[in-house]
Amino acid sequence: MGRARDIRLAYLLLAPALILLVTALAYPIGWEIWTSLTDLSPLNEGPTAFVGLENYRRLAADPAFWRAATVTVVFAAVTCTVKLALGLGLALLLARPFRGRALVFMAIFLPWAYPASVSVIGWYWTLSPPIPTAYSVFMGNMKYAVDSALGGGAWAFLSVTLFNIWRGSSFVGVFLLAGINAIPPELFEYAALESKSAWRRFWLVTVPLLKPFLALAVFLALTTAFADLANVWMLTAGRIVYPVIGTHAYWLAIHGGQFGPASALSLTLAPFLITALFLLFRMFDPPEREPA
Amino acid sequence: MAGRAGSGAGMVEGSRWHKWVFFHVPLMVFVVGTLFPFYWMLVTAFRPDGELYRPWRAVNNTPFWTTQPTLEHAIYLFKQTMFATWLWNTMFIALLSTLISLFCGLLAGYALARLRFPLAGGLGTSIFVTYLVPPTLLFIPLANIIRDFRLGDTPWSLILTYPTFLIPFCTWLLMGYFKTIPKELEECARIDGATRVRAMIQIIFPIATPGILSAGIFAFTLSWNEFIYALVFLSSPQQKTVPVGVVSELIRGDVFFWGPLMAGALLGSIPVALIYSFFVEHYVAGLTGAVKG
Repeated sequence: MGRARDIRLAYLLLAPALILLVTALAYPIGWEIWTSLTDLSPLNEGPTAFVGLENYRRLAADPAFWRAATVTVVFAAVTCTVKLALGLGLALLLARPFRGRALVFMAIFLPWAYPASVSVIGWYWTLSPPIPTAYSVFMGNMKYAVDSALGGGAWAFLSVTLFNIWRGSSFVGVFLLAGINAIPPELFEYAALESKSAWRRFWLVTVPLLKPFLALAVFLALTTAFADLANVWMLTAGRIVYPVIGTHAYWLAIHGGQFGPASALSLTLAPFLITALFLLFRMFDPPEREPA
Repeated sequence: MAGRAGSGAGMVEGSRWHKWVFFHVPLMVFVVGTLFPFYWMLVTAFRPDGELYRPWRAVNNTPFWTTQPTLEHAIYLFKQTMFATWLWNTMFIALLSTLISLFCGLLAGYALARLRFPLAGGLGTSIFVTYLVPPTLLFIPLANIIRDFRLGDTPWSLILTYPTFLIPFCTWLLMGYFKTIPKELEECARIDGATRVRAMIQIIFPIATPGILSAGIFAFTLSWNEFIYALVFLSSPQQKTVPVGVVSELIRGDVFFWGPLMAGALLGSIPVALIYSFFVEHYVAGLTGAVKG
């Protein structure tokens, strides 16, 4: 019955999970950091050379990198804001029971449950139909109008953004709904006695109570936007007008065989993610923690 | 949208007029917006080629429905492509990686929820953080490792990498679930002479069945839908999974086989999407349990 036995048992139980995570997660990340400091490439002859920060220096001097970085940040910020607003709206709409709620709920959740790689083709087909299609002239005119108003490639950017929002707000909505349901309803009833203004109640009661959920939703929304590689790829059918960091890295590594620069490139995402994670955990910590 | 708060967080009080403006209309907009792309896929999947490719202003053009639904695209899918093989591959890979992740997640979740040991908090947090590492960071080194171990183009390349994002989630979900089970149940069993491992397997795991089920369904769907790893690690057509197979074999160069593409997208995903929708409440409960942790 010893505590020592409990400790041994705990590590034994954790072992399978930790072994898999270390070999398939920690090791690759270490490898990636190391590789980003070398010129590793299957195309190179001779041994791989250690080049220090050369890959990063070259990135910093590359205007294409800064363009990709800007697009990534703008994309993440825009989609994240809209997803949060729409998701919160959805959660509030669905918070009270009404007839057919279960059906509406399923419909709302479908975009997230559906494989993105195929639903994205559905979007591509809707937004950029091939020439001989029935409505391609109509969509072509839309594309032309948008591109001439906002600059070339705006339509492509817009379709990627729309898809990300469509898929993400479904998730954020369901997630925040669960958060609202976890709040004791009495709190809302007290609040209704205290203040007549729904707007004030929303900001002073609902939002603070939802804070941990909002924080995690924001982070998940951010990572999916930052990491969105496949969808950008598909929605523009490989003709990437606005590359994001992910597509850039994919191109460099898989098609160009330049593992060193590609690793450096995808690691430039890490500072963003770590900052976001740090802020998240600050918000996440409830003021009074129940003892475990 | 928050405009008409009643007593709850939901806003469905007030006059008829208010109800329409602040509830029914936004709700309809949401539902139409989320479902339209699916509807469009559905129509495309059953539309004959002659109708797919004809001018917008043609006589009798019916853009939003079809007058002659056809199964030719679905038949093409099964006869001319390896769709059936892809379905089988996806099923096999998803099932195995789900089982591995559930096994690891169950044990780790129990340890984190019930046992007191040094580093418990740190390990718990770091497992959670790994869930948040995006595949964009990982696919390059993993591709290299897969090549070194000669696992490229085999189902094992995916069965062994999918758990990297499945285990953290399963662990957190099950940990939250275990915490809701009263400790007394286990203590009673141990007073009666059962060892901790026995109490865990015979008392706690059966009670946690709903949690295990939802973790399993979630893991299964995530592996079914995964795209990037499958795209990078698999190359021959007979090894592919449904998402990658449909995309890479039905888009050849600049030619899109729209009908079969949409048919494949629908046939390959509807079952999973439906299962998911039925279990969504469990899944969400697990997620929020993890947040409240």
